[in-house]
Amino acid sequence: MTAGEEAHGVPARPEVLDGPFTTRQLLRLDEALRVADRTTGLTFSVYVGDLEEPVRAHAEKLHSQLRDPDKSVMIAVSPNQRLLEIVTGADARKRILDREAKLAALSMVAAFGGGDLAGGLISGLDQLATHAGRA
Amino acid sequence: MSVTETLLVFVVIPAAIVLVIAGLALLGGGRGGKRYRPGRSFDFAPVWFLSAPEQLAGSPATSLHELPAGSAGSRELPAGSAGSRELPAGSAGAANKELATAPAVTTKGATGGASDRW
Repeated sequence: MTAGEEAHGVPARPEVLDGPFTTRQLLRLDEALRVADRTTGLTFSVYVGDLEEPVRAHAEKLHSQLRDPDKSVMIAVSPNQRLLEIVTGADARKRILDREAKLAALSMVAAFGGGDLAGGLISGLDQLATHAGRA
Repeated sequence: MSVTETLLVFVVIPAAIVLVIAGLALLGGGRGGKRYRPGRSFDFAPVWFLSAPEQLAGSPATSLHELPAGSAGSRELPAGSAGSRELPAGSAGAANKELATAPAVTTKGATGGASDRW
């Protein structure tokens, strides 16, 4: 991707590539999200960025902005504050119990502590999707 | 053996092996330049990944959907009912239909989940 591409009508380099994840990590993350969505029927999303205090309320507010929050699971990671929030909607939480969410959170922070953001997110998504079971 | 041979066998060859392996290690370890480490500052704009763009009420259509924000992530997250309008300016006409029908205040059912820190 070079600057010259814009002149030919090709879309500009998406901003997300300037973020913390490499292209390969983005692809894997996208794949993990799609697989999780498809196998469980729930909507998974990942938010990486700062969370304002109170953190849990902010995460839930983000979650409520999704189209179908009851059937959604949102993973919010704030690397600056070193916080992880998993928010499961009213329907989703019947399939992913809070205890299972906590287990996934534990393994995710273990990965984050080692500096592996993408890997932690992907394995966390995989764990949550497995706990949720098939749609 | 002569001095030259001794030198060659016991110094030059191991040095060469060490250099080759060091070179491979340096070249192979360059991946992930913006590597995150806990404690380092994370200056990137907040990103929100969804597998399909239409899942976020009023979102622009990009394949790996992201919600870029300025350095203050709060701009993307206004309180309560004003939420949908603040989403990225790139929202196409199709997205606006969703804005009209999006509920002003989403029913706050009990949400669950977990929190943790590292």
